[in-house]
Amino acid sequence: MSSHAGPSQWQRMQSLRDSSNDGFGFTPYHHQHQHSQHHYNSSSLSSRARANSFSGGDAGAQNNSNSTATTAGPAEAEKSQEDEAQEAKMHAFRERFQKSEKHIDRLFRSKRPCCRSDFHDGDDGGDFGTVDLGDDMDSDEGGIDAIPAKPVLPAPTRRIVEDDYDDDDEDDEPPPKKQAVSAKSSGGLLDIPKAIVPHNAEAKKSPAATREKLEEDRKAAEEAAKRALSNMFFTLENDRDAMLEQQKLEESDRQVNAEHNGPGGEGAGGFQGKLSSVNLGASSLTLKHLITRIDAQRERVILSDMELRSLISEVRKNRSKWASEDKIGQEELYEAAEKVTIELRAYTEHSTAFLNRVNKREVPDYFTGRWARLIKTPMDLGTVLKKLKQLAYKSKAEFVADLDLIWQNCFTYNGDPNHYLRKHAKAMQKKMLEMIPLIPDITIRDRAEVEAEEAGAAEVDADAESDDEPIMSTRGRKGPGTTKAKKTRGTPARVGTPEVKPLTVNLHRADSQPPGNDISQANGSQNGFGTPGPAGGTPVPGMTHMDLDHVDKLDDDTADAEYQAWKTMTKRGRAQITGERHKLFRHDRLAPDEPALLRTRDGMGRYLRKEARHFHQNDEDRMPSDSPRVVDKLVEEGGSDEAPLIPDYYEPLSTVPELPWNVEWRPGEEVDILGNQLRLGKKDIFKAPSTGLVNKMDANMRQMQETRKICSKISVIKQMQTQTQIYANQFSKYNPEQFVERDVDDYVVSEDGPIFAETVCRAALQRSLGKIFYHTGFEEFQPTAMEAVTDIAADYFKKLAKTVMLYRESPAGFSDQEVVLHALHENGVDLDAVESYIRDDVYRLGSKLDVIHERMRGHLADLLRPAFQDTNGDGSALFNDGSEQFIGGDFAEDIGDDFFGFKELGLDKEFGLDTLSVPLHLLQVRIRNPAESQAHAAAHADGYKPPPPFEPLTIELLKPQIGIVQNFFLAKLHAGVGVNEQGALIEDEELPIKQRAPKPRLPPTGKISVPRKRPLQQQGGGNKKKKKLNPVEEKKEAAGKKGAAVKGAAGMERAMSKMSDVDGGEAGGGGGMISPESMVAP
Amino acid sequence: MSAEKAKYRLEIQQMMFVSGETGEPSHSTTLLIEEIVRSQVIEMLLQCTQLAHRRGSRTISTDDLIFLIRHDRAKVSRLRTYLSWKDVRKTAKENDKEGGGDPTDLLDDPTTTAAAAGGPGAAVSAVDAVGKRQKKSKIGLPWEVSSYFSEQVPEREDDEDEDEVEANFATLQRLKNADERTRGMTKDEYVHWSECRQASFTFRKGKRFREWAGFGTVTEAKPNDDIVDILGFLTFEIVQTLTEEALRVKEAEEKVKAQSGAGLGGRKRKRERGLFAGEEERTPVEARHVEEAFRRLQAARPKVRAMRNFAGGGGRTRLGLV
Repeated sequence: MSSHAGPSQWQRMQSLRDSSNDGFGFTPYHHQHQHSQHHYNSSSLSSRARANSFSGGDAGAQNNSNSTATTAGPAEAEKSQEDEAQEAKMHAFRERFQKSEKHIDRLFRSKRPCCRSDFHDGDDGGDFGTVDLGDDMDSDEGGIDAIPAKPVLPAPTRRIVEDDYDDDDEDDEPPPKKQAVSAKSSGGLLDIPKAIVPHNAEAKKSPAATREKLEEDRKAAEEAAKRALSNMFFTLENDRDAMLEQQKLEESDRQVNAEHNGPGGEGAGGFQGKLSSVNLGASSLTLKHLITRIDAQRERVILSDMELRSLISEVRKNRSKWASEDKIGQEELYEAAEKVTIELRAYTEHSTAFLNRVNKREVPDYFTGRWARLIKTPMDLGTVLKKLKQLAYKSKAEFVADLDLIWQNCFTYNGDPNHYLRKHAKAMQKKMLEMIPLIPDITIRDRAEVEAEEAGAAEVDADAESDDEPIMSTRGRKGPGTTKAKKTRGTPARVGTPEVKPLTVNLHRADSQPPGNDISQANGSQNGFGTPGPAGGTPVPGMTHMDLDHVDKLDDDTADAEYQAWKTMTKRGRAQITGERHKLFRHDRLAPDEPALLRTRDGMGRYLRKEARHFHQNDEDRMPSDSPRVVDKLVEEGGSDEAPLIPDYYEPLSTVPELPWNVEWRPGEEVDILGNQLRLGKKDIFKAPSTGLVNKMDANMRQMQETRKICSKISVIKQMQTQTQIYANQFSKYNPEQFVERDVDDYVVSEDGPIFAETVCRAALQRSLGKIFYHTGFEEFQPTAMEAVTDIAADYFKKLAKTVMLYRESPAGFSDQEVVLHALHENGVDLDAVESYIRDDVYRLGSKLDVIHERMRGHLADLLRPAFQDTNGDGSALFNDGSEQFIGGDFAEDIGDDFFGFKELGLDKEFGLDTLSVPLHLLQVRIRNPAESQAHAAAHADGYKPPPPFEPLTIELLKPQIGIVQNFFLAKLHAGVGVNEQGALIEDEELPIKQRAPKPRLPPTGKISVPRKRPLQQQGGGNKKKKKLNPVEEKKEAAGKKGAAVKGAAGMERAMSKMSDVDGGEAGGGGGMISPESMVAP
Repeated sequence: MSAEKAKYRLEIQQMMFVSGETGEPSHSTTLLIEEIVRSQVIEMLLQCTQLAHRRGSRTISTDDLIFLIRHDRAKVSRLRTYLSWKDVRKTAKENDKEGGGDPTDLLDDPTTTAAAAGGPGAAVSAVDAVGKRQKKSKIGLPWEVSSYFSEQVPEREDDEDEDEVEANFATLQRLKNADERTRGMTKDEYVHWSECRQASFTFRKGKRFREWAGFGTVTEAKPNDDIVDILGFLTFEIVQTLTEEALRVKEAEEKVKAQSGAGLGGRKRKRERGLFAGEEERTPVEARHVEEAFRRLQAARPKVRAMRNFAGGGGRTRLGLV
C-alpha cells in the first residue's frame, strides 16, 4: 500500500478534481493540510489511516499546483518550469509530512528519551524539517522558483517504515527510475538480503558491479534489520521451526563432512586435518561464521586468538583451499560456488527438504518405476557440497545445472501445484538466482592448456561465448515452453502501466506462473553481465530483475518484507539460543543433567554496548559519567565483535536490568547495607478498616452477644423452674469476649508495593468471614465449613479482581466507576444487591436486634418477677404472697436503690456483680452441692477426720503421674467433660449425678455381659472434640503473623489453657464447633 | 401432547384470567404452561429432597420449600401470609367444632376462602374482618433473626414488621390492579372473577396433584399437607408470573408489528371503527409468547454463572425456579 504521495493517486486525484480548482488559490491547501495534521495529532496512528489523511492533503497540494499549471499555459518552456514547480510542491508537501510525522513521536512518549530522539533522527534525515510552515506558504505563494530544488528522495538514513512508502512511490513513478533504483539499493528494507556478507568480495579479483550492488543491498538490509530490531518487537512463534531447521542443517553438515572425510582425504591436498579444514572453510564465509565455528571448536584450537586472527587474515588475503597451481580459475569458481551452496543450505527456512539425499526408506517409490525414469539423477545440496569438495565441477554451468536439478526434481516429483515442497523449491530457486551472479563464469582449465591457447587471443573470446551457450541451453531444456511466455508477461509487469500496484501484479503472477518462470529472466540478466569482465552489463536490467524478485518475494511469503528480513538475519542466533533452552527443558520438564544456562560476559558486554550506543547517540547527559568506563571494560573483555544479531529479549540472561536510581551503586560509594530502604511495614493493613459498615456490623454483633447473655439467664431460670435438682456447674456462664482484631506483628519492608503473605491473607479473610458468619447468626461453625467458605470467597474475589483487570486493560478505556460496575455485574452482583444487603442485612438487622434485645430483657424481667406479669404494670401485685421480690432485692434495682447496701460494702466490685440484687443461686436453696454436704455429714457421723482431699488433677500436674494414665487423663482434660473452671479434673464422686458413669451392676442372671456399645452420638462427639485443638491453635498462629506468635512452650501452654477455657465455657454447646470468639479474641 | 394429558386446563385458564389475560387462551398455550409448571414443581421437589437429605432427614419440610424461594422476599412474605391464614382457618374450624355454631363461619365467607385458596392478596383485605378475633400465628423461618437466639422471642402485639410492609408493597400493587379491573364489572362478571380467583392446582384436588407432580417417584408418596398447600400457592404464582411476562412479550410484539406494519399495510388496517363497535377483540396469549416469557425468566441470571467465570466451558445450568 503506497502510503503517501503515490503518483498514481496524484494523478487520479488530479483528474477527479481537475475542474474545480482554479478559484481556490492556496487557501484550500493550507486548510487541508491543517486538517491532515490535526488528524495526526488526534488519533490516526495506523499507517493506513495516515495514508488516507495524507492523500487528502496531497490532493490539496496537487490542486494548487494544478491551478498554477493551468494558468501557466501550454508553452513548452514553461512546461519544464511547471514540472519543477510540481516537484517543489511535492517537496514542500514532503516537508510537511516530515513534520507531522514528528508529531507522532509526541504521542509515543518513551520513558527513555533516547528512543524518542531515535525517531527524530530518522525523520530529520538530511536537511528537511527546518523549514517551518510559514515559510512554505511564502514560497508557495511567492513563486515556484524560490524553492531550492532539493532532492525529492529521502535521505538514505530515514526511518524504515518511511522507506517503505517511498520505495513504493518511486517504483510507481516512471520518470526518475534511476533514482528509484539507487534509493532502493541504499536504504530499502524491502530488499531482502540477497548476497552473502561483503568481506569476501574484497578477496575477489574481479568484483562485478552486480556483486557490489548485491552486497550493498545486503548491508543495507542488515542495517535496516538492526534498526528494526530496536524499534519493533517480533513474536517468537517461529523459533521452534528455526531451531529444528538449524539442527537439521548442522546434522547434514556433519554428515557431509563425515562422508567426505571418511574415505580418507581423497580430495585435494587442502584437507590436512579437521581443524584447518574447518578454519579455512570458514574463511570463505563471513567473519561471523568463522567466529561461531571457532567458538564451537575452541578447545580444539590450540592457537591463541591473535595467532588465529592473523592466520585467518593471511588465508583470506592469499589463497584458499581451492587454490591449485594446475587449474586456472578453480579457486575463484569454487570459492564462490561453495559460498553459494552453504548460503543456500543455511537458508533453512526453505532448504530443509533439500539438504540430504532423498531417503529411500521415506520415499520408497522415488527410485523405482516411473519416477526413476523421470528423475534420472537425484540431487541435493549435500551432494553438491560433496561434489564441490571432490572438485567435480568444471564450470559454473555444471554447478548451476546441478543446483537447478534439485528444484526440477522436486517440481517433477511433487506435481501438485499446491504441494508445500514446491513452495520451498521455488523459494530456494529464487535465492539461488539471486546469488548466481556472484559466481564468476569460469571454466576450469588446465594451465597447460591455457598456456597453449594463449597464443591466439581471439579464441578466448570464442571460448567465453561458448561457455555461455551451454548454460542457455540447459535452461532452455528445462523450461522450453515457458520462456517466451514469461518474457512477455514479465515485461509489462515491470515496465508497463505504472498505476498498477505491485500487489495486484503479484496476485496475477502468482496465479499463472509455472515454476520455471524466473529462470528465463534470471538467465537474461545473467547473460547481460555474466561475463567475467568487470561491469559488463548495464545495471538497470539487473535492478529491474531485482524489482521483480522483490515482487515475487512478497507474493510467495505474503509476509511483510521487514519481518522476512528479520527472520533471515536472526535465524542463526535464534536457533542457537532456543536450541540451548530446548535442551534444558526437553520433554516438558527440567533436564537436570544439562548444563545450566549462564549469563556470559560476552552477552552482557554486547548488551551493555548496545545500550551505550543507544545512549551515546542521543543524549550524553543522561549517562552517568562513570558508567561508560564499566561498559567499555566489559565490552573490551566481551570479545568478539560479530555478535549474533538478536534482539535483547532473546537473551534475557545477558541483559542487565535498569536499576532504579536509589539502588544503583557507583564505584567509590559507601555501601549502605541496611540502609534507609528498610523500614517498618504499615500497621493495620490486615485489619478491617473502621468504616461505617464495619462499625455497624461490630455493633450488631455486640448486641447479639448481649442478647445471648440474657438468653442464657432466661434458660437458667427456666431450668430452675422445671428441675428439682440443680447444680452450680450445670450452668455455663455465658460471658462472651469482645471481638478484637489483632494486627500482625511488626514486619519490615524494603520497597513499596502490596504486602503478600498467603497464610496471613488467608487468615485475615477467614477472620472476616467468621465475623460475617457470626453476624448472620451462626454462633459456632465447623472448621471445615469455615475452610470451604474461605476457599469459595477467595475464588470469588480472584474472579472479581480478574474481571476488573480485564476491563481496565480493555482498549475501550472504561472509567474507574464503569470498571467497577461492569466487574460487579459480570460477577452477578449489582449495586442494588449490595445496597439492599447493607440496608436489609446490616442496618435493618441492627434495629431488629435492638427490638429483640428489648423483648428479651422484658421477658427476663417477667420471669424474675412472676408477680409482675399479672398486674397491669403498676406494681401493685409486686409484693404478693410468695413473691421473692423482697428477698432478692430485685425491685430495688428498678428504682436504682442499693437495698442491701452491696455497693457500700464494695461487694459489687469484689464479685463483679452486675446487679445489686442478691445472686440468684444464693437465694435458691435448691442449688447446693450435695456431695459436699454428704461428705461433711459423713465425717461428723464417724467422728474421724476425713483424709485430705486429692489435689485436683490439672495439666500441670499430669507430668508426675505414671505414664499409663497420662494419656487417659489428658484425653479427659481435653474432652472438657467434668473439668472445672480452673482446668482441674473433678473427681467422679463430685460430679453431678447425671454425669456420673453408671455403676456397673451384676445382672440378675449373674453373667457379666459384654460392655455396652457407646451410643453413636457420643462417639462422634468425642472425635470432633479431639479435632478441636488444631483449628484454634492454627487461628492463633495465623493471627500472629507468620507463625511468630506462638513463642515456645509458654505460648503452647497459653494456648492449652485457653483451650480448656473455651471447652469449659462451651461444654454445653455442640462439640467440635468453633466460634469467632475463640477464633478472633487475642 | 395428547389432550388427556392436560389436567389443569380450566384452572390454568382461570388463573390466567386473574393474572390479566382477557382472551381465551388456546389449548396449546395452557398445555405449555401446564408442562412448565409441572417441570417447575418437579424441580422444586427434587431440590427439596436434596436439601432434606443434606439435613439428614428423609422427608421434606416446609422450610425446605421456602428455602428455595428465599431470595424473593415478596414471595416469601406472601407465602407466609398465606400459611398463617391457613392456620387461622384451621384453628377456627377446630374452635367451631368445639364451640359449635359460631355465627360467622369463616369458611362460608367467600373472600376468606378465596384468600386461602388462591389469591393470597385477598387475605389482606380480610385482615380487618378476622384479624381481631383470631391471633394470627406467625410462621418462623430458620434464617430469621429470632432464630439466632436459644430462647423464644416473646411476641408482642404491636408487631408491624418493616420487612413485611415492604414485601406487601407488591401484593398491594396486585390487589390494586385487580381492583381496577373489577371496578367496571357487572355482578355476573364479578362472580365469574371471584370464582376464577379460587382456582388452584391443589385445593380439593390433592390426589390429582400428587399424581400429576410425580409424588412417589420424585419424592416420597405421602407428603405433608402443608407442602401440597405451599406448592398450590407456588404454582399459582408461577402461572401468574408467566402470564404477566407473556403479556408483556405480546405487547412488545404488537408494538413492533404496529411500527413496521404502519409503513406497509397501514392503509388497509385503517378502517374507521364504528361508534358502538365495542372494544376491539383482544387476541389471547399464544404459545410462543409463553415460550419467550419462560426464556426471559430463565435467562439473565448472572448470579448463577458468576462462579463459573474464567473456568471455561459451558457447564450445565439448573432449571431456574420462576
